[in-house]
Amino acid sequence: MEEEAGEEPVLDRTTASKDFHFYHMDLYDSEDRLQIIPEENTSMRREVVQAEMTKDPRGEGERKVQRDLQEDVDDLVHLYGLEDEHELGDEFVEESRMGVSGYLPYGMKRRDPAREQRDWRLEGEVAEAEDLGYGGWGLAGQCQDLREAYRYTHGRASEEYECYVIPEEEDEEEAEDVFCATCKTPIRAVEKAFDEHKEHEVTPLNKALESAKEEIHKNMYKLEKQIIEMENFASHLEEVFITVEENFGRQEQNFELHYNEILETLAQKYEEKIQTLGQKKKEKLEALYGQLVSCGENLDTCKELMETIEEMCHEEKVDFLKDAVAMADRLGKFLKTKTDVEISAQPDFEDQTLDFSDVEQLMGSINTIPAPSAPVINPQAPNSATGSSVRVCWSLYSDDTVESYQLSYRPVQDSSPGKNQEVFTVTVKETYCSVVNLEPNTQYEFWVIAQNRAGPSPSSEHAVYMTAPSPPIIKSKEIRSCEEAALICWESGNLNPVDSYTVELTQAETPEASGVTESVVGIPTCESLIQLQPRQCYTIFVRALNVGGPSTRSEPATVHTTGSYFHLNKDTCHPWLTISKDGFTVVRSERKILAKELLPSKTQFTRCVAVMGNLIPVRGRHYWEVEVDECLDYTVGVAFEDVPKQEDLGANCSSWCMRHTFASSRHKYEFLHNRTTPDIRITVSPKKIGILLDYENSKLSFFNVDISQHLYTFNCQLHQFVHPCFSLEKPGCLKIHNGISMPMHVTFY
Amino acid sequence: MALKQISSNKCFGGLQKVFEHDSVELNCKMKFAIYLPPKAESGKCPALYWLSGLTCTEQNFISKSGYHQAASEHGLIVIAPDTSPRGCNIKGEDESWDFGTGAGFYVNATEDPWKTNYRMYSYVTEELPQLINASFPVDPQRMSIFGHSMGGHGALICALKNPGKYKSVSAFAPICNPVLCPWGKKAFSGYLGTDQNKWKTYDATHLVESYPDSQLDILIDQGKDDQFLLDGQLLPDNFISACAEKKIPVVFRLQEGYDHSYYFIATFIADHIRHHAKYLNA
Repeated sequence: MEEEAGEEPVLDRTTASKDFHFYHMDLYDSEDRLQIIPEENTSMRREVVQAEMTKDPRGEGERKVQRDLQEDVDDLVHLYGLEDEHELGDEFVEESRMGVSGYLPYGMKRRDPAREQRDWRLEGEVAEAEDLGYGGWGLAGQCQDLREAYRYTHGRASEEYECYVIPEEEDEEEAEDVFCATCKTPIRAVEKAFDEHKEHEVTPLNKALESAKEEIHKNMYKLEKQIIEMENFASHLEEVFITVEENFGRQEQNFELHYNEILETLAQKYEEKIQTLGQKKKEKLEALYGQLVSCGENLDTCKELMETIEEMCHEEKVDFLKDAVAMADRLGKFLKTKTDVEISAQPDFEDQTLDFSDVEQLMGSINTIPAPSAPVINPQAPNSATGSSVRVCWSLYSDDTVESYQLSYRPVQDSSPGKNQEVFTVTVKETYCSVVNLEPNTQYEFWVIAQNRAGPSPSSEHAVYMTAPSPPIIKSKEIRSCEEAALICWESGNLNPVDSYTVELTQAETPEASGVTESVVGIPTCESLIQLQPRQCYTIFVRALNVGGPSTRSEPATVHTTGSYFHLNKDTCHPWLTISKDGFTVVRSERKILAKELLPSKTQFTRCVAVMGNLIPVRGRHYWEVEVDECLDYTVGVAFEDVPKQEDLGANCSSWCMRHTFASSRHKYEFLHNRTTPDIRITVSPKKIGILLDYENSKLSFFNVDISQHLYTFNCQLHQFVHPCFSLEKPGCLKIHNGISMPMHVTFY
Repeated sequence: MALKQISSNKCFGGLQKVFEHDSVELNCKMKFAIYLPPKAESGKCPALYWLSGLTCTEQNFISKSGYHQAASEHGLIVIAPDTSPRGCNIKGEDESWDFGTGAGFYVNATEDPWKTNYRMYSYVTEELPQLINASFPVDPQRMSIFGHSMGGHGALICALKNPGKYKSVSAFAPICNPVLCPWGKKAFSGYLGTDQNKWKTYDATHLVESYPDSQLDILIDQGKDDQFLLDGQLLPDNFISACAEKKIPVVFRLQEGYDHSYYFIATFIADHIRHHAKYLNA
């Protein structure tokens, strides 16, 4: 069987080898190898080879070598069967690459009788392989081709090989239905049970397919993203490209300009120098000439004197003496005149120095550019400031080259124009600067100067920027609320006025609230009435705003929209009353007696010992409770804010009250408005009075809370807002409960 | 207990009806008025019993008090029975307006010849509620009672004698202390004989003293210009004092200028309906 299986591929392989030989045989010189390859090697498959040769127009020598090489393999295949061929093929390729050394262990492993022959042959092959190394393309290229050839043959052989050796593979038509995650290959479920996948993690094929698809989609997405990034990057590069061109073009122009200037300057200097040089030369020559002339004259004079003296020597004694005296005078005179033998002009060129400083300066200025023009400072961008910083931006003319900017600023203070404020300066490279450590809610004047090596620009215009305000301070103790709204007051937190305030509210502690923050913006004053949802808890922040932007958040305040919540207004409090620390217990003590009479007041109760609460001005329903002593004389109810403070509660048209008086063990309950009361008797004295103010139905109701008893209801026309009132006619105390939800029973009134 | 509908009129979305039936307690045909609010069409409603005063039938309240709107809004079924047995042919039953016909005083008579028929207390507290509960969409657990004058007395004693049976009680110008007033003395001696202790079991002021500490919110309106108040027939102060003593919650409102009439009732009927609705609909 082995033989048969081997039979057919041989032919194919040979053909394959032939194709393969076309590529490279002319790349190296194969002539030498003819001797190396033993003759007998080629004889074994002669018929086949001859058949090929008829097709092949090439020279037999070249062909033969190649054929021999191939046939070596083929023969071996025949000798050792497919398995061997497979190994041998690999080995051969290996051999070609590595030389002899790789072979021996292989040979040792073999157990067949044909071993020697093969060894011998392989030696030949080695020789050939070495020989191949001398070819122009070296071993690597050669081996590549060889490998291809063998891969082809091996591919053919291995199909049969697989069919034979691994019979399981015959079931391949049966589809794989699971995917082995470990081997990353689809397998059939049955294989899972007993195969190598036994220990492996497998998933259904569909699922594996899904996840593979998903993976691919992910990768595609990544690739898409990468494409976009690369495109962006490319366009960015283009921009940079253009910028580089522009910048270099500008610089070229600049250089040209400067070099021309320098050349001109040098030429001018040369002219000047030459001229000066000529002048000097002329002057020197003239001086020398003058000297020469006078020297010649002197010479003549000397000669003449000599001659004269010589003549005199030949004269008579008397004449000689006469002349000699005259001559001596003349000679003495002449000798006295100093003969100038100093050369008036040196032949050297004294002025060696050449002044190139201006040229140097020009040279130096080649790389610099003109000083920049004044930058343009931007007006303040909205919301760009914080309480301690502003972000100042400016721009430059595009032709300017700027190394840095000097940003100067000082606070604007119109109050003292004479006094110069300290100017601060910072140097930055960018065309913006975040200036920090400023005072909040303050105007600052900014101006900027650009500079480069050539010098500074003129100053920009002055721009006024403003820091954001300080956060406001919520007056937590003055927050009033009801089920529908809250009245929030705050202190500005800033000395100078701000533009407006923003109230931010976050519903808390409910699962459906989801922490969404609502904002009420543009509040001009330091208080705001905020509409809210009933029976919720809100966290409230306030921000102050000016042109610079918003302040940071104020400290939070918490508002519960359960019932109505108010504080007592201490300004209204009669001096005999004291309000407890928590603000909700009103005490009239025994001892407090005023020495002097109180002056009538518009805000403070001066007659009845009362205090007023600050109820939120919302026309809804408000409910609160008052805890009283059964024997205490008290008055509770509501009154307009401007209720006459020197009258008793209930003694006018501005107040509606329940009054309890306890005298001679009898309780008297009055429901007073404008000094009148209905005649009502109550058998059980309330310890806790519920008061329901209902603007919508114009009603004010009183209840005995403990027994849910309705006591009385006023029908009152409330044309303005009323406030809770509490009065103590005798020493004692009452306790106010608010911020509580309305009991069920009061909803009937 | 066959009911015979005498009349039915739509009123404030509901129906004002009058029925007649044979009363076992009273041994005669009795009429009662019942108002079914719109809410009764879809579910059970609380029942509020109204007891009328001397000389009245089931008609006075339903035609004069104007209670329908409030009852309709609060979803209350309001039952107004007659004030006494009628047509029993008892000698002297029609002799005076304050005794016999139209003046049952909501007691169970023990004296002849009244004891066979004049069992108004059992009728309004037992027979009638059973009939109503069986025939109309009422919630038997939610029941209150109120009345006027003699009916105010009736409402008070029904509530005070049956702690917990009625969620609330209220009254217009009730006869608060019948054992001490002329009407009461006449009626009680006639129906109950001379035993004053028997009388006291039907006297609200006396019943307060034995009333257990149970929550009962009593609302009483009294016209200040009520002639019967001035005549000492009603004696609310005695009742109030007793209640104050026993800490039974009463709000007693002496209404300036009002008399004993249905005009007075009509003025404050809504307050009373609300008072009951507060407990019945709580």
